[in-house]
Amino acid sequence: MKEPDSSTHAKQLMKTKKLYSLLLIIIIASLLTGCGARLATTSWPGISSPDGVVYAAYGTRIYAINGATGGLIWAYPSEPNNARTFFAAPVQSDGLVIAGDYRNTLVALDAASGAERWTFTGASGRWVASPFVVEDTILAPNADHNLYALDMNGNEKWRFATCQALWSQPYSDGETVYQASMDHNLYALDLHDGSLLWSLDLGGAVIYSPTVDEEGTLYVATLGNEVIAVNPEAGSVKWRVQLEHSLWTQPALAEGSLYLGDLDGNVYALSAADGAQRWSQDLGEVSVIGRPTVSGSSVVFATQKNGLFAMTFDGARQWVYPGVNGTLYNGPITSEDRLVVGVVGGDNLLVALEPSGALAWTFALPE
Amino acid sequence: MWDALIINPFINVLLFIYNLIGQNFGIAIILFTILIRLITHPLMAKQIKGSQAVQELNNNPEWKKIQEKYKNDREKLAQEQMRLYKELGINPFASCLPTLIQFPIIIGLYQAIILSLANTPIELFNLTRRVYSGFLDLSMLIPLNSDFLWMDLSQPERIFIPGLSFGIPLLTIIVVVTTWVQQRLITPPSTNPKDQTSQMTGMMNIYMPFLMGWIAYSLASGLAIYFVTSNLIGILQYALLGKANLKNLLPSRKNATAK
Repeated sequence: MKEPDSSTHAKQLMKTKKLYSLLLIIIIASLLTGCGARLATTSWPGISSPDGVVYAAYGTRIYAINGATGGLIWAYPSEPNNARTFFAAPVQSDGLVIAGDYRNTLVALDAASGAERWTFTGASGRWVASPFVVEDTILAPNADHNLYALDMNGNEKWRFATCQALWSQPYSDGETVYQASMDHNLYALDLHDGSLLWSLDLGGAVIYSPTVDEEGTLYVATLGNEVIAVNPEAGSVKWRVQLEHSLWTQPALAEGSLYLGDLDGNVYALSAADGAQRWSQDLGEVSVIGRPTVSGSSVVFATQKNGLFAMTFDGARQWVYPGVNGTLYNGPITSEDRLVVGVVGGDNLLVALEPSGALAWTFALPE
Repeated sequence: MWDALIINPFINVLLFIYNLIGQNFGIAIILFTILIRLITHPLMAKQIKGSQAVQELNNNPEWKKIQEKYKNDREKLAQEQMRLYKELGINPFASCLPTLIQFPIIIGLYQAIILSLANTPIELFNLTRRVYSGFLDLSMLIPLNSDFLWMDLSQPERIFIPGLSFGIPLLTIIVVVTTWVQQRLITPPSTNPKDQTSQMTGMMNIYMPFLMGWIAYSLASGLAIYFVTSNLIGILQYALLGKANLKNLLPSRKNATAK
């Protein structure tokens, strides 16, 4: 048998090297682009529970979960599409569950079955924030800087352009729409035609929605570390309080006080009337994050790495639940009496607790 | 460790420049890239010198004789090669070490740009945790302005022309062209175009522009701005050091290198 000569051997070697080089380049390209894509489409679970069912948007799907047992009712879409991810908390109204994805589609699903009813693709950016439904109007803020008003069939009524992305859920009292923007402004619009009534420069971007009291006063926490109370008619500042540390929160309101925490581990109770500090507590080396929730006679705070803890309205600690096993970026919501929190990077997507702080159920992402 | 030593300082400097020049992220990326390339210029100059010394060894008559003599004894050939390196005062790692040092800096720069172009809440939150309080007032910088020329730097770039149903990735094309030009300019003339090293270099000259193009096409256009700037500075650095091989850009390359 004739042995291959050295030039044939060299050619074969060269061919193999070429193949390896090409493969290496393809792997590097895939890794770099894959990492970037993952970075660009990540957020925390958006959860809501308007009717005893917990709706969770996370990754490629929206889940409807039994609020009593934690069992899965339906998931949308039936076949996940990696190019389409959901993170904004779905809202439920009139038998529809409405949620936006991180591409540009706002979808309305049948609340009972998860079947798709209609889609709205008129926006060009991500749906980072949840829509707000008032009467027969869906108010949907988009990262393309626009607030869209749609009818209940997904037809556009009007749109209002701001100067930057909209990441926070709007609020409406049935006459006026209030929308906070990353452009540092709080806008008041006429619900019926979207015309601007007033705008107020808050001096910092707003990630979370305003909290509203019975008289309509709006309370917002800005990334400028301020808590600001705004008069809803005139768009004027009632009071503003500068806090020392970074805020990543929406204040919770109960019994005339606003409750919030900062990323340096402090929690505060401020008077809703004038912003005066009623009490504060240093919880140590934790980051208090997201919107606290009022549950019965407790305020429940989330910490980024150390789970949930509950305090009385007077600032006495009630219970701590450290076992979420993951990272929290938002506070819990209430579903019936239970507290439900969305977890990033843990064993479970959702953890539900009894009002006493005992574990009720968990929900893990389906395989 | 990696974050504390490389990524976070890079992010803070990048945002500092962004703030200093009136909140233009595109210009900030360009200036930051120039800054990093200036800082790493001595390393690059060393790398070029090292490469050149190794390259020159291939033309050394003594080395050619040794290669011929020990062509069937790899171990002896390696020993003789090391001896010759010693005699001529060549450090074979002189070209590798600067590259190895530059590599984490380039990766860090890439990651710093990606992380600074935060365009979701979780990305912004993670960015706020990386900024040194007291050095920058991030609350005044947010939202970061990612608009530059016709681009949103946090998104892949496309130009939409009326009548065309698809966007033209102009910046991707510029990345491919500048990468190709840079690769060609820095390739030293080979004494033997048929040897394996030359062929491998030739392959890299073809593959690299497409790799960079694919990344520019798929990821945030802020990275493409970085690639283009980096390529142009690379060309300039080689030209200033007198190492840019302009003949490689001409079509009659084979004749030029065969001389």
